[in-house]
Amino acid sequence: MSITSLTFFLFAAVTLVVYYCLPKKWQWYVLLAASLVFYCAGGAKSVIYVLITATVIYFATLGMQRISDAQREYLKQNKAVLSREEKSAYKARQKKKRKAMMLAALLVNLAILCTFKYFHFALAQINHLIRAVGAREIQDTVNLIVPLGISFYTFQSIGYLLDVYWEFYKPERNYGKVLLFVSFFPQITQGPISNFEQLSAELFTEHTFTYRNYAWGFQRMLWGFAKKMIVANILSVYVGRIFEGFQDHSGITALFGMFCYSVQIYADFSGYMDIMCGYCEMLGIRLTENFDRPYFSKSVAEYWRRWHISLGTWFKKYVYYPIGMSGWSRRLAKQCGKKLGKYFADTIPATIALVVVWFATGLWHGASWSYILWGGVNGFFIILTLWLEPVYSKVKTALRIRESSRLWAAFQTIRTFLLVTFIKVLPEVGTLSDGLRLWKHVFVNHELRFDFRWIVAFPGSEMGVSYLFFLLAAAGTAAMFVASLLQRKKPVRAYFNELPAAVRIPLVCGLLFVVLTLGTLATFKSGNGGFLYAQF
Amino acid sequence: MDELLEILEEINPYIDYSTEKNLIDGKCLDSLSILTLITNICDAFDIEIGPKWMRNENFNSVEAMWEMIQTIQEEE
Repeated sequence: MSITSLTFFLFAAVTLVVYYCLPKKWQWYVLLAASLVFYCAGGAKSVIYVLITATVIYFATLGMQRISDAQREYLKQNKAVLSREEKSAYKARQKKKRKAMMLAALLVNLAILCTFKYFHFALAQINHLIRAVGAREIQDTVNLIVPLGISFYTFQSIGYLLDVYWEFYKPERNYGKVLLFVSFFPQITQGPISNFEQLSAELFTEHTFTYRNYAWGFQRMLWGFAKKMIVANILSVYVGRIFEGFQDHSGITALFGMFCYSVQIYADFSGYMDIMCGYCEMLGIRLTENFDRPYFSKSVAEYWRRWHISLGTWFKKYVYYPIGMSGWSRRLAKQCGKKLGKYFADTIPATIALVVVWFATGLWHGASWSYILWGGVNGFFIILTLWLEPVYSKVKTALRIRESSRLWAAFQTIRTFLLVTFIKVLPEVGTLSDGLRLWKHVFVNHELRFDFRWIVAFPGSEMGVSYLFFLLAAAGTAAMFVASLLQRKKPVRAYFNELPAAVRIPLVCGLLFVVLTLGTLATFKSGNGGFLYAQF
Repeated sequence: MDELLEILEEINPYIDYSTEKNLIDGKCLDSLSILTLITNICDAFDIEIGPKWMRNENFNSVEAMWEMIQTIQEEE
């Protein structure tokens, strides 16, 4: 079900009405039913995998809790008779059982994810090796249809499993509630990847309809639709044309296409988040925010703390810290400290963890070498910054650069935007070599002709976008930029709702008109109802 | 407690640890500092801090960290 379709609009409206009309204690049942309908609309067969994930997680978490409860009871009853050693031995046995249960559930979920996402890629790599030794290749005849949002709901479920394993909170005993947590429709296709403790507090609380929630939610949804249907959809055609035949364009055009792609992917992904966060606000539910003005970041590391925040938080909590804190990485750091000095030794656990995190982040985004390299390049810049921090400090002191200087902040922001723009396009052009050739093309193809259309490919029939539409996308980009600047102090809607109704209402109606007419036309012409992040 | 304060001072001497109660939520310590802190605490107090202790409230203040260290020592 496309989010920008009339079907989704009707589905969302009916869900909202039923949600508030039925008794409040049934609200989460309405969301569960709506989530299953939404999922089945995208392919009824795939729902089986969501059910498997929810069921495995449900029984594993309950099983782990049962072991913990039994342990507590046993130790309480035998407090006087057990020696310290006996208690420790008993605890170790119980811990082993819990770990086995957690690992079994983890493996089932990872096996499903890896089969659907990486089977063809893995087979292609095996065939490369087979070809190299001159043997007969394995025919790839398996037709796997990747279940909708599998990367998102699997990670969310694994997070819940590990949280219960680490005893952050007790597991949910109601299967329906676990199923809703796994399949909640506003976030199943593109996140955010939520934490059970936070999301369950929102989902299973009774909500009362308020005009404030409705109005603020609607405004955010409209803003999200404008970002997606006007900016992202128009730019997707233009960017697509440039990337398809970048060899036929000048280096400047290729660079301009890369900038447009950065705007497109931000408008696309954050537009989706605005639509769904706005819709949830109408339901009285607050979703985790996934963006915090990422293009104003001053380093690649900061950018990743502000772009797709929930994925970064997930990797930090479940991969980065466990690896960085592990005994072996600390022992390695100690050994290195003797030879390489304290600063470098301190960075060793973080470096090891970052290598794993960025390899996994690349793979999470897609099963291809382009994505693995994309993850590697991101990780490279972050690790390099970590290692060279003492050198940067010395250079900044020598050059008398003040950290608080606006000029320095602007330089850092522009530098980071350029870096992430170059990294972003790597997997988007086609194969890995295409991505690398695009990078090269930006720097080498600067043949100057007395033709502005050569220097920068202007919109027109060749580029698939008319001047009017391109100006509309440019105006949308400018509006997004201004909104980001305003957001520094408080949410844009806080400013907006301080305006008199005589200004506010025409503005909302005007934007609604533009989205419904030009936005719909742009979506229809671009043939792009889908979202870029839905493919992950 | 003094040993813990020394470790923290070494990581970031510009924070007033006696008054700061929001070290993690207030983003006073970044992820690298947290890993360094954990490594140093484990070495100094001869304990293992597993992922289950990785909750913001365990690292938000010196008092919370000290309480966590004592709990781990008792459990071990």
